[in-house]
Amino acid sequence: MTRAPRTLAIIDTGGATTSVALVARIDRRWRLLGSMDGPTEIPVPALLGAVAERVRAADADLAAWPELQEGALDAIPLLTARSRPPGLVLVLGASRRTVGDLEAEARQTGWRVATASTETHDPREMTALGLDPTVDLVLIGISDPPGPDERAALDDLAALGGALIHRRSDLRIMTSAAIRSRRAWVDSLGDADTESGRVIDVPPGTGRRGERDALRRALDDLRQDPEDGRIGMRAVIGTLAELLDLRIELLEVGFDGGARLVAEPGLAGAEPVVRGVITSAGALVPPEPGDETVDEVLAWTTGSLDRHRMSDRLRDLRRRPWVDATGDGSRLRMAAASAALTRLAALTPELGAGSPPDLTIIAGGAFAGAPAHAVAMAVADTIRRTGSTQLARDHARLLGPIGTIEDAGERRSLLADLVHDALVPLGSLAIVGGAGGIRPGGRKRAGRAARLTLTMEGDVQLRDLAAGELTFVDLAPGTRAEAQLDFHDGVRFGRRTKRASVQVTGGLAGLVVDLRDVPLYLPERRDRRRSRLAEWAAQAWPRDDR
Amino acid sequence: MNRPTVPAGLDLVRARAIVLDSVEAWFTLQPGERPVPGEGEPVVRGSALAERLREARTEVGGGPGNSEGQPGAWWSGTRARGRGANHTAEGELLFRSGGQWRIATGEPSEPLEAPFDGVVSEVRPGAGIRVRTALRGLAAADALGGPSSGRLHIVATRDGRVRTSEIDVGSAGAILVAGSSIDAESITRARAVGVRGIIVAALGVKERREVLASERRARAGVHGLPPFAVLVLDGAISRPIATPIMAVLEAIEGRTVAIVSEPACLVFDDAGLELPSVAPDLVRVTAGPLAGVEGTWGGPAGPFRFSGGVIAEAGWVRFGGREPVAVPLGDLERFV
Repeated sequence: MTRAPRTLAIIDTGGATTSVALVARIDRRWRLLGSMDGPTEIPVPALLGAVAERVRAADADLAAWPELQEGALDAIPLLTARSRPPGLVLVLGASRRTVGDLEAEARQTGWRVATASTETHDPREMTALGLDPTVDLVLIGISDPPGPDERAALDDLAALGGALIHRRSDLRIMTSAAIRSRRAWVDSLGDADTESGRVIDVPPGTGRRGERDALRRALDDLRQDPEDGRIGMRAVIGTLAELLDLRIELLEVGFDGGARLVAEPGLAGAEPVVRGVITSAGALVPPEPGDETVDEVLAWTTGSLDRHRMSDRLRDLRRRPWVDATGDGSRLRMAAASAALTRLAALTPELGAGSPPDLTIIAGGAFAGAPAHAVAMAVADTIRRTGSTQLARDHARLLGPIGTIEDAGERRSLLADLVHDALVPLGSLAIVGGAGGIRPGGRKRAGRAARLTLTMEGDVQLRDLAAGELTFVDLAPGTRAEAQLDFHDGVRFGRRTKRASVQVTGGLAGLVVDLRDVPLYLPERRDRRRSRLAEWAAQAWPRDDR
Repeated sequence: MNRPTVPAGLDLVRARAIVLDSVEAWFTLQPGERPVPGEGEPVVRGSALAERLREARTEVGGGPGNSEGQPGAWWSGTRARGRGANHTAEGELLFRSGGQWRIATGEPSEPLEAPFDGVVSEVRPGAGIRVRTALRGLAAADALGGPSSGRLHIVATRDGRVRTSEIDVGSAGAILVAGSSIDAESITRARAVGVRGIIVAALGVKERREVLASERRARAGVHGLPPFAVLVLDGAISRPIATPIMAVLEAIEGRTVAIVSEPACLVFDDAGLELPSVAPDLVRVTAGPLAGVEGTWGGPAGPFRFSGGVIAEAGWVRFGGREPVAVPLGDLERFV
């Protein structure tokens, strides 16, 4: 008779680092025993061995388990997820307008995007782009029906598409029947194989008959991979929303991409609803960080790096993202993570409307090891929405691998056991709009804007809050409290009000009350901006000696 | 799951491979640039891999007749119509639209030369050519320009810098090891005096842009400059060349080497040479205040709190005869 395994190694191999978590079935429940991460070059057995060694040292009972002995670790069942590098889609069109529309859609997917149009590139340049071995997919898009600015170039596009299929046997092309029906397409194809799924029908993305999300869905479908942890986030966040009966938001920033997803439990037994994007634009640093990326990160830095130096550091961060995670390097990493969160927020304005979720989960290697206060501040800085939410971090990177479990019942069962170990509470974040801040001209509004009354287990704390400021209040993990906010003037806190009362829970960062502008206003001048950011960062990085 | 034999805990430190046993290099071509050898053909150093173009352009018209010719094929013939009618033209067929071929063509430029001996393993017209060699490669982070080949000459210590005045015509035809970093002025001078390449630990973005701009100018010029490449061993922020890498460079100094960019490496012939070995417990700090410093592994330190309140997995490292210091594991590398 064989016994069901009582240990499991959960492995999340990302684009840059691998996380190994060891879980065990104790008292008929799966529990997280420990986890460790390292660059992807570190062999998984080395990480697993180190975790098991710590478990044996920490718990005498577990040390006696035969499965956890050094020679037996190979036999532990594995639940693995990996992050596939994003493919590169080349968007070709007959006008800049069409290409721009398609690019905007494609950027909301896991693909990296390059573009060219017959208005901006000649046939040789477009062919060179299509023959580049790093291009995995060519998307040829036209409006439906073609616009007057497109009609003259349709034959060229069709012939180019057919020629690329003819010349590259590893290339896929997504295009419409309007292109494929042209004689130029057929003539260029020659004897090329088009039956093996290399030619994909593009849903109309632009034009009068265009369906807005159809192209995005089609591109996402091409990236479906049952072992991809980032794609698995969509499933796991839905399961979690259903399990906890909460509205949950996931913010993930990784090496090759990121995600912003919101899940709501289904009504009357219906499936949970998950919205949002998984996009390569959410990567910590894009593959070739250009001036735009440098500016985005500089906008969140408090140091005095010039553009060249910042560019150097971002290149090194992209090349080896696991290094320099302490000291100054951790600040740079959080600035890059804030820039990535800003990009995610810009791509998902519809998720920013309405009330905040009950729980916000922060995930991804970008936040590994970062101080809880700094992570909470990065979220407060970038995801600006009035109201309160609880913050938690997927510290052991369990959610992605669990999301790859195909069977919903199994996924739910494992998640139900592990949810409290998987999510480390960071605290609660309350963002108040219209409470004052920096006025145009750079001057702060003076005086008290609100009073916080925090009641927990009969104990009452009072605290005055200044306009335009960010305040961290200590609140231990697991502590529940009622926070009452009395405002001097009417503010926005989900709705227009002068008084609000919310249930908050503690965490490593405590309670964060944010009375800064919504959206966040920062001075244009670099020195003033840095000075403002430094004032707030002093609370988030308290032990920093800068 | 066999664990390699290394000092305790050192398998948690990223291993950096210094030498590649063989190299398969990819040389990028543009449409219109014609590969010379075919697949499976041997090439020797200096032989032409492809005919390169200066001022590449698209010509409309010409090309083979209705049912002949395929995209990617090479065509030469007489243009039938247009301003250049009856003139001989040649180029790469791109596609046929509206009854007329689009042809990639341009003015012939310096050929792309093979930087080492090898065998052509793949030819993709308009995209690139791949050459396999049994020679060994010194792995690097990045390579700009090139490919290029020349005699290896060390002009700076591993943590030194080369001054512009130290680069003169005596270095023409050589690939110089220039220490921890190099400025844009020195790179410009090196190219001007005929140096074939620079090997440096780090290259900043400013210098990188200078090299790329210089490469573009060289390609556009009527009289092409000799090939030139910069091999970056580590990254963008200045640090000394790692001791084991410097030892390899010292061992092969005076030999003819080549810089290629895909993969970024220095290709060299180690015939009759025993490459220096690396102490298994040698570790190098790759970032932070100690970047570039090397020491010996002292064992895992476990989760450790560092400045900025960051808790990271750490290892003990002994620098010289001093007490061991905890360094984040992510900031360490070892060499294999």
